[in-house]
Amino acid sequence: MINLKKPLKKIKNILGLGFVLAKTEFKLRNEGSYLGIFWYLLNPILTFGLLLLVFGDRLGNNIREYPLYLLMGVIMFNFFQSSTIESTRTIIKDNVGVIKSINFPRESLILSIVIKNFFSHFFEMVLFAILLAYFHISLVGILYYFFILFFFCLFIFGVSLTLSSSTVYLVDIENIWSFAVRLLWLGTPIFYAIAGQTKLLYLNLFNPMYYFLTAARDIVIYAKEPDFFIVSGMIFFTALSFVFGVFIFNILKTRFAERM
Amino acid sequence: MDKIKRIVVAGVSKKFITGHKNNLGVLARLLLLSNREPKSLVYVLKDVSFDVFSGEILGVVGDNGSGKSTLLRTIAGVYSPDEGRVVVEGKVIALINLVIGLKDRLSMKENIFLCCSLFGLSQNEIKEKLHNIVDFSGLQNFFNTKIYQFSEGMKQRLAFSIAIHCNPDILLLDEVFEVGDEDFKKKSGKSIVDIADRGGCVVIVSHETEIIKKYCNRVLQIDRGIITMNSRPGRIKL
Repeated sequence: MINLKKPLKKIKNILGLGFVLAKTEFKLRNEGSYLGIFWYLLNPILTFGLLLLVFGDRLGNNIREYPLYLLMGVIMFNFFQSSTIESTRTIIKDNVGVIKSINFPRESLILSIVIKNFFSHFFEMVLFAILLAYFHISLVGILYYFFILFFFCLFIFGVSLTLSSSTVYLVDIENIWSFAVRLLWLGTPIFYAIAGQTKLLYLNLFNPMYYFLTAARDIVIYAKEPDFFIVSGMIFFTALSFVFGVFIFNILKTRFAERM
Repeated sequence: MDKIKRIVVAGVSKKFITGHKNNLGVLARLLLLSNREPKSLVYVLKDVSFDVFSGEILGVVGDNGSGKSTLLRTIAGVYSPDEGRVVVEGKVIALINLVIGLKDRLSMKENIFLCCSLFGLSQNEIKEKLHNIVDFSGLQNFFNTKIYQFSEGMKQRLAFSIAIHCNPDILLLDEVFEVGDEDFKKKSGKSIVDIADRGGCVVIVSHETEIIKKYCNRVLQIDRGIITMNSRPGRIKL
């Protein structure tokens, strides 16, 4: 019989330490801040406001509940962007000393980033819920959103594992990823819809964010079940990202301390 | 009490690749595919073998760059050996250059929770040990003070207190022993003897002859990655 006690204990340790590190970082980030959670909302609010002002009339006319459509895109992409960009710095810059001195589960560092950004995302979701209420749309969809969020967190965790460990070996991943994420932002239907644009649709079939955004908008804003194809794509990219991330991180982590 | 092998180091070698082309970006690596810099390897540990038994306090001495810290990191599991194997029996706590993850902008209490978590303690265990750690460090009056206001000596006392209260069966100390004032030195000396007496073991890396002679049952001398002597402290020329 397979003994699951050891791997389960390891997962428990990673989760426990991940939460402690996330809590610490959250405290440090808010230290001396009188505005508190307002800072978390400032970036998405400004981006949302600006995009709504610029594109609201042109692109928004053909999209139902455009402000909600736009805000959902902005906050989900913000979660993905913040977590993955931060993960490119965590091993090679932010935690070098402790990695070279203590043998602890390195995965916790990456997990803590995802948890910390999840906190921020939660506040953004509160803002989103207020907007939903303003548009007289049922808040029940948000409960189903947690199902998508579960896959989304695993997906982000997988991407972050890959990026953080690769950065130890390829020092400019941080710059490349910052650039790539900008391109992805433009290529993902955040402030526009891709209906009728065949080339863009084909491109987005390879874009994991497309599946997560479409599923979330269908469930939360339009109160309809997402297509089977969209759900399958979401699960496929989550599994791919998570398995590949864990695999590559496990191979590379043994040499982290000596490469820095 | 039967003595058990707490640490087994068998034929361990550790090498490092040196050279500026070790840290390259994606494009640089692609461009250099056809023009690779020959690998320059430096062996920091060469075929090192020894055991440490329960109840022992082992000293490790040697010049700067001889491989002492690399040896400690390899035992701690921070580095993985390129050849040979390291087997440890029990919980390892390493205090290497006093880096245990202390964050300057957090209070002493918050730092205790953070660092003990890094050493694998659960939140309940930390709560149980919190007062002992604070009492041992002698910094009761600074419990809620952010540690950027601490002197280096106070940070050292805090780090040492945390490390010895994290239930080590194997305690690894790299140049950090006997820190602080006389009282604290006595307390920390007694605490490592206690760890050895209750069946654990301690490995101390130090340049200070007096410390090695005072506490260690056995001493390893390392020179350029090779153990040149493994004997009682009195026989080693420091």
